[in-house]
This record gives sequence, C-alpha cells and structure tokens, in this order.
Amino acid sequence: MGEYGFSLHPYFKEMPGIGKDLPRELKQNVDEIKKVERELADAVRRVTDAGKAAQDINSKGEMTAWQRIDYLVDPDTWCPLHTIYDPDNNEEGTTGVIDGLGKIAGKWAVIIASNNQIMAGAWIPGQADNILRVTDMAKRLHIPLVWLLNCSGVKLTEQEEVYANRRGNGTPFYRHAELEKLGIPVLVGIYGTNPAGGGYHGISPTTLIAHQDANIAVGGGGIVSGMSPKGFIDQETAENLIEATQKLTSAPPGRAEIHYMNTGFFREICETEEKVLDKIKQYMKDMPAYHPDFFRVADPTEPKYPASDLYSLVPFNQRRVYNMKEILARLFDNSEHMEYRPDYGPEVYCGLAKIDGYLCGVIGNNQGVLGSNYPEYTDQYQGIGGKLYRQGLIKMSEFVTFCGRDRIPIIWLQDTTGIDVGDTAEKAELLGLGMSLIYSIEQTDLPMILIVLRKGTAAAHYLLGGPNGNNNNVFTLGTPTTEIYVMHGETAAAAAFSRRLVKEKQAGKPLDPVIDKMNEMVKDYYDKSRPIYCAQKGFVDEIVRYADLRSYCKAFVGSVYQNPTSICPFHQMITPRTIKG
Amino acid sequence: MAVVESPLAGKILEINITVGQTVNEDDEVIILEAMKMENPIFAPADGTVKEIKVKAGDRVNEGDVLVVIE
Repeated sequence: MGEYGFSLHPYFKEMPGIGKDLPRELKQNVDEIKKVERELADAVRRVTDAGKAAQDINSKGEMTAWQRIDYLVDPDTWCPLHTIYDPDNNEEGTTGVIDGLGKIAGKWAVIIASNNQIMAGAWIPGQADNILRVTDMAKRLHIPLVWLLNCSGVKLTEQEEVYANRRGNGTPFYRHAELEKLGIPVLVGIYGTNPAGGGYHGISPTTLIAHQDANIAVGGGGIVSGMSPKGFIDQETAENLIEATQKLTSAPPGRAEIHYMNTGFFREICETEEKVLDKIKQYMKDMPAYHPDFFRVADPTEPKYPASDLYSLVPFNQRRVYNMKEILARLFDNSEHMEYRPDYGPEVYCGLAKIDGYLCGVIGNNQGVLGSNYPEYTDQYQGIGGKLYRQGLIKMSEFVTFCGRDRIPIIWLQDTTGIDVGDTAEKAELLGLGMSLIYSIEQTDLPMILIVLRKGTAAAHYLLGGPNGNNNNVFTLGTPTTEIYVMHGETAAAAAFSRRLVKEKQAGKPLDPVIDKMNEMVKDYYDKSRPIYCAQKGFVDEIVRYADLRSYCKAFVGSVYQNPTSICPFHQMITPRTIKG
Repeated sequence: MAVVESPLAGKILEINITVGQTVNEDDEVIILEAMKMENPIFAPADGTVKEIKVKAGDRVNEGDVLVVIE
C-alpha cells in the first residue's frame, strides 16, 4: 500500500484480467526475433564504440559522456532514445549526442549529453534535429531537461549541413527559452571547451553548473585569429595564426573563473567531473514533482505473464495473425484492463490499464477475423484486423476524447495495413473519419507514445498516435518486428508498373525488364523498412527489445504524472463510468 | 463431439494435426490463408481428432467443417 489512499478504487484497484498462459514456446519465432535483436545490438555497439577510445578520454582526466550518464542516472531507470539515429549518414554513424529518459535523484528527466568521443562533442549533421526531438519530449512531458554539455562547436568542414536553417543549430537555444517560458527548467553540467554554438548551448539553459576546466565563449581561438582575412591564406597569415592560436591555447576565452567570478553566469564551479554530476543530482532533488503515489490508482504490480512470452506471441511472419490482448497481458500491471466498447469497431482495442500503478489509455489494432457481418456498411467483403473501418475510427475518436477530458495519457500499439479503400469505404466516410481522429488527438493536448509492434502503413500510421502528431507523440518505439512504409513493396510495384506491363505486352515486347524493375522496387521497400533503417532515419525514436517495452512505458507514464500541467480528479472521470455503463 | 468450422472463405495453408491426435481447447489446428493473411484456427474443445475434412491447398467457404473432434 502506498503513502496515500486510492480514489475511485472500486474501478481501478482490481480490474478484469486478460491473457492466459502461453501454450508453448514457438522456437523458430523466438530465434528470428532474437536474431534481429542481435543485429540491433551490433548497430548500437558501432555507435557506442565510435570515435576516440574511452581510455584516451579517461587518461586526460575526463569521463566519457556514457560514463557521465551512468554516474548521473538512478540505477535501472535509463531508457535510451535515438541511439542509432543518423538521418544524414554521418561517417561517425551518430548525430553526436546521447539522450534518453531516466531518473535523477528519484525524479524523471529528459537527459542529453554531448558525445565527447566524437570530435570533442562537435555539432554534426542531424544533431539539431535530434536535440529538437529531445526538447519536444521535455515540453510534452513537462519535466526537466538535463544537459551534459561538452561541445566544440560546428564541424567546420560540414558547416553548410549544420549551421543554418529553420531547424538548424540555433533552434535549440530558442527551444530552451520556450521550455523556460513554460516553467520547465533546463539544467546543464558544462565540461571542456564550448566555443560559439557550444557557448550558446552553455549559456541558454536555466542553471549552469561548470567543471573548473570548462569554458563557454562567443567564439573560440580559430575565429578570433581569422578576423582579418586577405581572402586567401599565405605564409604570413599562417604564421600569425600559429602565434594567435598558441596564445589562445594557453588562455582560451570564457574560462570558468571569468564566468564565475566576473559574469556570475556559472552558479556552481566544481573541482571534479563527478562533483558536477552530484550538483545536478542535488538540484534535481528540488525540482517540482508530486509524490509518486499521488496519482497512483493502485499499488504497482508486474504483469501476471512474463515479457518473454512476447517472443512467441508476436509472429515474425508478418502475414500471421495473433491476439492483441495477449500482448497487453504482458505489458500492463497484473494483466488487468477495462475495455471500452468491445462489441463496436472490433478491429480496434481501446481500454484502460495500469502501468506502475498509474492509469493509462491503450489503443491497439486487433488482428484476425472480425466476423462475416463486419464492416457493417458492405456485404461485398469481410473485414480483417489491422485494417481500419468506420466503427473503429469512430470508437478511437470517442476514446481519445474521453481520455483527453480525463487527462489519461495514451499508449498506442500499432500494427496496421491501412484504412479500408474503394468507393464503398468512401461512402462510409472513412477519409473524413480518419481526419476526425487526427483532429480528436490534437484536441486532447495529451502526451502519448506509440509502439509500432509490426506494421506502420499508409495514412493509418499517422493517425494511430503517429510521430507526426508533434504536439502529442512524446516518442515512438519500434520493435524487432517493426516495418514502416507507405504500402507493401509488392503493392507499390503493382501501382507503379501495371500500366507499363500492359503497354509492353501490347507492343509484344518481353516483360522481363519491367518485372526486374518491379522486383528491385520490392527489395528496396523491404530494405528501407527494416527496424534498424527506421531508427537511423528517425521513423522511430528507438528500437526496443520486447523484454524492455514495459520499462519505456513505465518511464513515459511516470514522467507524465510527475508534474502535469492539468489534472482531472479521479472521482470526476467519465471514461471508467462509460465503460461500466 | 466438436467441429472446427472455417470462419471465413480462404485457402488451407497448413494442417497441424493428424487423425487420432489428442488436442486441447485453443490449440492451433489449421492455418487458413484469407485476405492476404495467415489466420490460425483453434480447437474449440479438448478431444481427439476424429476426421480432417480438408487438405493443404483446398479452398473453403465460411462455415465449412474442417475438422471433427471427439
């Protein structure tokens, strides 16, 4: 029992159970999923091993960014995000920052660190977008953003890819200001040399805690020395540059003593790297947060069924159907739930469940046969799970609207082949109802996360809690079975080449060249929809092992309830009453 | 006696049981390909497989009896 009692306990303390024991382990399925997990681990290792060796950094008396995070974050709470995100295919294989959700001194924070093993933490292509994803998370969750800064500034050989643009390297400074405007503190621990863009990175947060050897400055040595260019470099210029650089190396601008003693920008100066992190922990202890039990509706419990079952329950074969409720039974507290309108819109699951004792809404694509009378607007064909029809779209709009009213965060579990198509579907208003769902989501002003369990396809990927809902989606997770594309490669190849096939056939020409092109397209769609590709391009914010999905759900829900901007008294909620009837 | 009926029209892809085999309720007995998806069909009750009325590749209609369990 927690420190507080529970409101509306007849509804939430003990909900109806779901799931049953796994009949048998499906070894082939388990092996195929674990193979993808190993490939993913290799991709992560390439990033964590990139750049300067840890011992080289340590031999200079510095910690690596990974070591700083490890020291700072409470054990077993770190949920990394964007680990292999690299939308511009950098030679470094990363955007040069490391981020995720974790607890510091018992409180959730969004955490981001300059990777000082990669060009001393330089701004490299893709980094600005990575940082903006992170500031968006802090904004949506309304929790502190903690920076571990060690940024040598723009990678000058690629400045055109890095410096300018609407979502360029200056944008995060505005985002920090926006977070502060919203009452969200940005804490920064400052290490190393941080000139120019690194300097603004250092000055833009709310509270600046610096290591004694750190500096932040408008410009670094190279900029100061290059103020009077002749338009070219000659021997004299080179000699002047050497002299100026040597001077600046011994006394770089914006040292800790200047920004502590003279300007007072630095609130704290610490003698050791660890003490900077200890100070951040101390500040985090005093950040605004409700007691974790304040918003709980029941004591936290683990699911009745183990997460390891998911390796047998989610078919690796994308054509094989499965039971979505068995997945829910492996994610939520005590495998309990309250389903919203189970007899309406059977292709979609909507319901309430608990994560770590907190209430959340859950929406997922049911799979398999839906019955011969569904969808109700036609007798020409039968519906199947994964597709969306009229009732399912209406049901989801209703459910998110209720959750918005009741301030219940939502977890989406997506495995969709799209929305029903054709004139029958158009007459059934599916285009309008899909957009209505987007409108309903936007109106909720709720934090949500999306787990793309298997397929994210067509417009359904957007409207089922997709990352495109920038004001709602906090992050999107992929799994080893995720695949995301506008449509299946074979469908796309048919759409792109069917007329060409007819033309070639009528002209009596061989079809093989066209067929070859079609198969190239099918392969290209396959390759560019794999989990690792999705994570590198940012279609998802991280690929997560099945065994770890619940940890991310806990981090999300715990963060949402830490310091919410609006609340609904439990006894005034309508969603559970509507479910009960 | 219990019968396994096809829940929708489609093609029999796999048969995972043999005549005389003991099955439990909810065991996967047949995979039916329909609407581009592979749909597992489960035993409705515990029992012994008395008769399998289809073979892989057969086309079936909704309501067709696929398996008889005793």
